[in-house]
Formats: sequence, structure tokens, C-alpha cells
Amino acid sequence: MDLLMTKDEVLFRDEVRAFLDAHLSEDLKRAERLNPSFLADPSVGLKWQAKLNDKGWVAPSWPKQYGGTGWTLAERYIFDQECEQAGEPHLRGASIKMIAPVIMRYGNDAQKGFYLPRILNGEDIWAQGYSEPGSGSDLASLKTRADLDGDHYIVNGSKIWSTLAHHATRMFALVRTADTGKKQEGITFILIDLKSPGVIIRPIRSICGTHEFNQVFFDDVKVPVSDRIGQEGEGWDIAKYLLEFERGGAFAGGVLRAMLTRIHRLASEPLPDGRKMIDDPLFMARFAEIATDVDANDMLELAAMSKVQAGGNPGAVPSSTMKIERSRIRQSIAELAASILGPDALRWEEHRPLHELPEESELNEERKVASAVYFNSRSQSIFGGSNEIQLEIIAKTLLR
Amino acid sequence: MDLNYSDEQLLLKESAERFLKERYDFERRGKIIASETGFDSGIWSDMADLGWLALPFAEENGGLGGGAVEISLIMEAVGRALMVEPYLTSVILAGGLVEKLGSEEQRVEILGGLIAGTSRPALAHAERQTGFDLGNIAATAIRSGEGYLISAEKPLVLGGQFADVFLVSARLDGAVKLFAVPADASGLTSTEVKLVDGSRASDLVLDNVRVAASALFGAGADTLAEIEAAHDRANAALASEAVGIMDALMDATVAYTKERVQFGKPLAAFQALQHRMGEMAVKCQEARGSALLATLSVDAPRSMRIRGVSGARAKIGKVSRSVAQEAIQLHGAMGFSEEMPVGAWFRRLYAMENTFGTTADHLKRYGEIIRDPAVLSGSLLREPV
Repeated sequence: MDLLMTKDEVLFRDEVRAFLDAHLSEDLKRAERLNPSFLADPSVGLKWQAKLNDKGWVAPSWPKQYGGTGWTLAERYIFDQECEQAGEPHLRGASIKMIAPVIMRYGNDAQKGFYLPRILNGEDIWAQGYSEPGSGSDLASLKTRADLDGDHYIVNGSKIWSTLAHHATRMFALVRTADTGKKQEGITFILIDLKSPGVIIRPIRSICGTHEFNQVFFDDVKVPVSDRIGQEGEGWDIAKYLLEFERGGAFAGGVLRAMLTRIHRLASEPLPDGRKMIDDPLFMARFAEIATDVDANDMLELAAMSKVQAGGNPGAVPSSTMKIERSRIRQSIAELAASILGPDALRWEEHRPLHELPEESELNEERKVASAVYFNSRSQSIFGGSNEIQLEIIAKTLLR
Repeated sequence: MDLNYSDEQLLLKESAERFLKERYDFERRGKIIASETGFDSGIWSDMADLGWLALPFAEENGGLGGGAVEISLIMEAVGRALMVEPYLTSVILAGGLVEKLGSEEQRVEILGGLIAGTSRPALAHAERQTGFDLGNIAATAIRSGEGYLISAEKPLVLGGQFADVFLVSARLDGAVKLFAVPADASGLTSTEVKLVDGSRASDLVLDNVRVAASALFGAGADTLAEIEAAHDRANAALASEAVGIMDALMDATVAYTKERVQFGKPLAAFQALQHRMGEMAVKCQEARGSALLATLSVDAPRSMRIRGVSGARAKIGKVSRSVAQEAIQLHGAMGFSEEMPVGAWFRRLYAMENTFGTTADHLKRYGEIIRDPAVLSGSLLREPV
């Protein structure tokens, strides 16, 4: 048992570092720094994706046969850390991390052959169609209907909190195809072309001032049966498989450590009266506490990864712990950063995206985005199975 | 990088848990604490037979060549069993220093006896004013004839009541050095102190105690750096002991709330309590991650060692306190009584938060080391040496 990289992993890290040095441009880094949201705006993300695609590094988690890297988990971890330290735009969302693994696992050859390459080259951007106005944590109560009519489904209903749906070309959605039996059994997983007639997208601005969420309405939208994934009624199992990816399939160690580094830089800058927050014992105590949380979570991620690499499963309690802790740590870092702005915290810049505004010093820009990052961080403990849902999962495992 | 236990390590873990479960239940522990000596010599010789006392030492010193991971497995079991015998202080702390700094004769004599179960060295280093500044030592050693005269006041020497030899730190020509001082040396007074967790320590006073020239450890070595490293190994071991206790508290709380019926249903059926137990489990997991990082950091370069070890002590101090408080609360009045182990785990965790640095001391030490952005942003994965 050890924490040592192999010689090859050190070479790999150096190669990643050199690539980022050469190709991750200052304007892309600045755009990411000024992005208060979880994911990059596609206008930024796609530029970076194109550069990664030339190198074959768009999808670190995909197997080689589908155009992924085929990397080991350790290589993926190292890649993620390097990209986060360098400040890459967060382009890997619903397309690469959610629908792709579902298509690989449940899709037929035609679906794999058509959809996966379009994800890699950025032709398709996917939105998630899970939650509905009346179905959040109780997802299986969803009501959007898909009625079979010849070789099509006719879809009616509404999906909500669809991140970036206004930029997306397609949506993967859970729809109801039967009302008999258990509510989970009547759910089917389909792929919807968002350019289809009858699709209406309503923007929802979030409390960080950004338009990233949407409500999507379906009014007699025709979806070919060939765009169904798996069988009718298999949607719930597929959804659970996908949620595993959303919850456990990624590392947050890199982004959390990068956030710590950013707040450290902010706190090291002299204030107008000459003091530095980093010399303030109250600030430093809180900062150090959060850093110990980051280390602990990072270690849990590595331990889970090690288990998976050896053919095991991290288990429900560690997985839900990581989901809860990642969200809390992001929230506490964002909250701490916003707490050291002083009266400038009152200034609110409405323009989005922020990177379109005239360039200022890096620190001024950190200060400009900090409130919005804090506001946005509140979503962390809600999406992907809220912390309360995670506690239910843990309690069930403990008490069974 | 590999964070999976080997088959041998899993066997050790299982054997440690089984041994202490059979030989060291809560009732028996109560009798040991209440006994005159506060020590069970039968357990100690069993541990010698099992090889625990030889575990961390190199084979050339008669040891088994175990590393920090093996120690962490023993310490988890020690935590759950609430063992009061001085495994940590005699084997890991004092024994570790003898191995690092001792001459061949000192290693043969002290480590040989320790491994055989006949000698229990104890480290007498910290003084009243030392606090968390390990270099703040006022004790003095002066050359006298062929040997040295040592004067020191060393309060709260852990394991001191069971020691036959002390490793006493004192300043010789300004530099901190360690000396082997037999417990029956003339001029040495040892006063028994009962500790909050049921174990015992000694307040030591040395008044011009004469020792031979051969009592000096590591004449040319940086003794203070070795003492700091030994404390980091002990702190990593404490982190694992805390993890063992937290798991035990979690298990006991789950078992109790499943059994205890109020308002016509088990306490565990109430969602308000389920979520609190869920939060306890989250903290247990986090503590496990921290303790593992500490364990795998003891041989890292100093800054990363401090990041791993003091980070873990800071984090675990906080979350273990919370888990113990919650365990008492969810046990209701029973958790408040000395009849159940819950309160004893709570008190041991409290003792640990005040052993080899407080939770706040470790947070401060960690905070100072992460002011360096290279340490803060450094990956947990290290380059091979």
C-alpha cells in the first residue's frame, strides 16, 4: 500500500503538463475563472474540446474502442488534477459523462456508431431530461408521457433543470410509457432531438445571475422508436446506472484543490489597509479546516479508485459520503472566498458571460466572480441526488 | 499507487480484532483499570507472543519489519478494545526512537527486552512549558566524570508507570539529546497520575541523576528532528486508533437504536435519527480517509508528512468529537452511564485530542505548512524515490 506514482505515471503527468502549457490559452483560462457555473458555456468549452479532440483526450473515461483514451484510473486521476490546476474549462458534462456511458452500456450498434463520434467532435451537445416540476427527489413519480404511435413515440409533458438545454442539440429523457404496476416499471429511456417541432425551451435564471437551467416543454413531439435506449420499461435501471456515473464516476480532488489554491492567492493579496487575510488567524483556521476536508475526500477518492482498479466496488456508504462531502467542501470554499471581499461584496455585475467584459487584473476578476460562485455553489448539494437522498442511502445501508 | 490491503494485512487485521475481542472485553478492561497496577501483564506477554511488540522494527533488530500500515491495523483494534497498556508509547514512540538513535548495544538491550515483553521503555520529553513546541526543553545534562548528570522535570510521561527505562531528553551543550535512564536510578522520582481515559502516567523528577556515558543516544544525530518524526509516527497511529473507536461508536449506536423501542417502534425507524446516524457515518468515512493519508505520509518528505499527519489529527479531532457526542445523545441516558463502553470511547477520544498536540495545535501546524502554495496544491500522489 502506497501513494507513489510509477515512473510511467510521472512521465504521463509531465506529458499532460506540457500539453496544457502549450495549448490551454490564457483567454480560455480567463473564461473559466470568470465562470460561476459548474460547467463551461459551450462557446468556451467547445473551443477547448476541439484542441483536446486533436490530441484524442476529450473523453478520459471512455474505452479506446469508442474514441476514448483507454487510460487507467490512476492516469485519469492525474490528468484531472493537472487540468484543474491549469484551470481548464469544464466541458465534460451530460454528453461525455452521462449519456455516453449509457449508450455504451445499453445502446445498440447503430446508436453507438451514430451518437458517440458526434459527442467527441462537439457536433452534439446533450441535455438531461430527468426532473419534472412535480418530480425531483421522487424521480420515479415522473409524468411526461411517451405514447407509441406506429414507429414513433408521441411525447407530451415537461422537464426541468435541464442544464444548458438552450445550447443543446439533443436530450436524453425518462418518460412514462405505462401506468400499470410499480411506478418504476413504466419508465422508458429515450433520446429526443431538440430541433423537433413541439419542443419549447424556457430559460430559468439561477441565483448566481446566469442562464444555465431551463424548463423544456413537449407538445406532441415525435420521437422515432429507434431512439429508445434499451427496452420499454427498462428506463429506471438505466437511470440508476447513469446516476452512478453522475455521483461516483468522477474525481473532485482536482477541482477542490484548485479552488483552495485560488482562495489562497486571493487571501495572500494585501487589502487596502495593507493587511492580508492569510495572516488573520480566524481566516486561516477556517481555511486550514477546509483544506483537511479536501485531503480526506481526496484520499477517499483514491481509495475508491484503488478498489475499482482491483475489480471491486467502492460501496454505497463511501460513494454517498463523497457526494455529500464534495458538495459541502465546494460550498465552504466558495463561502469563505465570498466572506473576504469586504464591502466590494455588495457590487453586482449583471452581464453574462463575465469574460466578455473588459479584462482586469486576475485578482480583481477573482473578486468580481466570487459572490456568484458562492451563490452557484448552493446547487451542489441539490443536484445528482440531494444530500438528504444520500443520507437516506447511507442510513438504509447502515440499518438494514 | 495502491490502497488495497494485502492478504497478509487483512489477516493481521482479523487476528488483532479477534484477539482483543476475546481477551479484552469491556468488563475485563474495567478490572484492569481498577487493579492496583492498572496493567495486565498477561496481555502484554500475549502481545509479545503474537509478534505485536516486534512488528515495527527491522529484522536486523529482531523485529518483523512491519510498516505504518500494519501498525494502523493494530491501532484500530486497540481503539475499539480501549486497551490501556502502553503499546503506542512503549513500542511505537520510545521503541521507534531507540531503533533510530540507539547504538548497537542500546538496540540489543532495550529493543531486545521490548520485543521479548520484558522491557517497556517510555519517552520522557515534553515539559510543562513545551506545549506543542517540541524544541522547548529546559532539562539539562552536564558531563561529569565518565558520564552525565541529568536534571529534569517531565510531567505526564505516558506509559511511565509501566516503564523500566526512560528515554529522557535534556540539553547537552545546548542541543537536545536523549539519555537512557533506568526507572530505579538514584535521584529519579516517579509519581503515579491517573488519566482521564483510564490509563496511567508518571510525573517524573530527575535531580542530578547520574548515568553512564553509554546512556547517550545518537551522539552525532539531529535528535530533535528524530523526536519530531517519532511524534508524527505516534500521531498517525493515534489517528488510526481514533478511527477504530469511531467505527465502534457507530456500530454500538446502530445496534442500540435498532433494539431500543419507544413510541411503539425502534429508534432506528425515526428519520430524524436515521439522518443523524448517516452524518456520523460520513464522519467515520472522512476520518478513515484522513487516517490513511497520515499512515502513508509518515515516510514522506517533512512538509508532506506534516500535511498528512497534522491534517489528520486536526480533522479527526473535530469529527471524532462530534461522532462521540452524537453516540452519547442517541444512546440517551444509557450513553451517559459508565456501564456502557460509549462513555469510555468518548473519554479516550477526549484524551487523544490532548495527546501529542491538541486538535488546535495540529490545525495550526497544518495551516502553517499549507501557507506554501506548493504544499497546498501538491498532489497526494508522490514521485517514486
